[in-house]
Amino acid sequence: MAYQKPLPRPNADTKPFWDGCKSHQLRFQKCQNCHHVRWPPSIICPLCYSHNTEWIVASGKGKIYTFAVYHQAFHQAFENELPYVTAIIELEEGPHLLSNIVGCNPEEIECDMAVEVMWEDINEEFSIPKFKPVGEQRVLTQFAQRPNSGRR
Amino acid sequence: MSMSLKDKYAIVGVGYTDQGRVPGRTALSFYVEACANAIKDAGLTREDIDGLISYRYFQPALSEREVTPYIIAQYLGLTPRYLGQEGNCARSHLYHALGVLEAGLCHYVVVAYADNALSGNRFFDEINADRAVFGQFGALADYAMAARRAMHTFRTGPETWRQIAVGQRKWANLNPRAYFHDQPLTPEAYYNSNWLVEPFRIPDCCLITDGGRAYVVTSVERARDLKHQPVAIMGIGQHNPSSYIDQAFHMAGPTGAKVAGKTAFETAGITLSDIDAAEIYDCFTYTVEITLQDYGFFGAGEGLDWFRDGTIEPGGRLPVNTSGGQLSEAYFMGLTPLTEAATQLMGRCGDRQLGPKTNTKQPEIILCSDNGGILQTHCCTILRKI
Repeated sequence: MAYQKPLPRPNADTKPFWDGCKSHQLRFQKCQNCHHVRWPPSIICPLCYSHNTEWIVASGKGKIYTFAVYHQAFHQAFENELPYVTAIIELEEGPHLLSNIVGCNPEEIECDMAVEVMWEDINEEFSIPKFKPVGEQRVLTQFAQRPNSGRR
Repeated sequence: MSMSLKDKYAIVGVGYTDQGRVPGRTALSFYVEACANAIKDAGLTREDIDGLISYRYFQPALSEREVTPYIIAQYLGLTPRYLGQEGNCARSHLYHALGVLEAGLCHYVVVAYADNALSGNRFFDEINADRAVFGQFGALADYAMAARRAMHTFRTGPETWRQIAVGQRKWANLNPRAYFHDQPLTPEAYYNSNWLVEPFRIPDCCLITDGGRAYVVTSVERARDLKHQPVAIMGIGQHNPSSYIDQAFHMAGPTGAKVAGKTAFETAGITLSDIDAAEIYDCFTYTVEITLQDYGFFGAGEGLDWFRDGTIEPGGRLPVNTSGGQLSEAYFMGLTPLTEAATQLMGRCGDRQLGPKTNTKQPEIILCSDNGGILQTHCCTILRKI
């Protein structure tokens, strides 16, 4: 079945991030003046206002800062996944990123739990970064059956 | 401070409309009716009104125009000297009103909020594409995340929030306007209700309301010539942590309530013990807890004990959200708390009137809060009889 969920809509600021996701890289801007790693992307550093920026590749490791468990779907495409978990991931490099926690029972999730990125390749254009508890070996069916699972 | 705003301006009239589930009406009709009722309530006429500020943000229902202040003014026969066209933050409306009054640009300003979202059946919040990718929709889940972080940071959770939901419902049961006037809420019913987005159950969440609410603000000097006992703005403060929740570090406090509260109390020259009741912006139960906590009524995590034994209920030592609030009466942004405080101080609240009728203290000073975004903006207002 075709992918029904809303797709990312990259803009001039976020395109480098989504381009990185395509090659399974989590990219963030790092200020070359004060070394602050920022998200969301911006033309200048919010702390020192420097334009001097480079994109770095994050390790994909972090902790769950907080999370929410959906017991009701607000969009049809998520109905089959209830209950599902959205979370704010505190990455090792500093940025906080909104994503999903997958590969475990929602009841096992706690704040500050260690997680790492995994990739959901939804079509030729987009891969979505999701997170699973570190050491979680299970492979979810949805990922095993992804349409382009042999791409990389 | 010579420039102090303390006791210089007053709320002099409040406008209500039918509210709750009121099908078959445009949002504009509620705005117009609420404003007209506020103007009449103050004993003023349309010729007196020279400032109008209203909320402007939500997408209108398909067959309706966007409700701009221009249109509201037209439908009320107003040609004001000031129109708040940009007003998508209800927190700032009283600030704007005080600004144009203080500058001498206006004498009587109407502030209004209205909506027909319940019967209009539109999604209440904006949809952000980059968040929808992950299934994150609306303020509910964002506040649930804030509440979850608070559960992790200090001792809070459903046991604390249940006391807020149940306490406010008891006030709603005394208020014929309240959506849940006829429906009591027991602790058991709270725990038995469904999760929406965990850790929030249905009774943790505010209502969506058809209806409108408005008030008129003017100088205390002018207020003395009008119909009602003036309700003075004794103190006011605002603070805006601003960061969206995805990047926020303030979700478990201190929120904007801390600085906003301190500013308002300093302006008023009073302390927490002078407060007779509180009308706290309650988009979710947790918002009430973190706001009172940041104002200093209790330490982090002590809310569990502070709320116990009916502290905020009729007969309690600090009544909170005496109309039922946005959880149990109606959702009119920051106008739900502010107008309830004003009408309580005017002594016009019927069965829920603070004082002997509800076995509470006769109110002289009421504390109000307003909060917006996902704890991104906060306004604290202290009102008193004058």
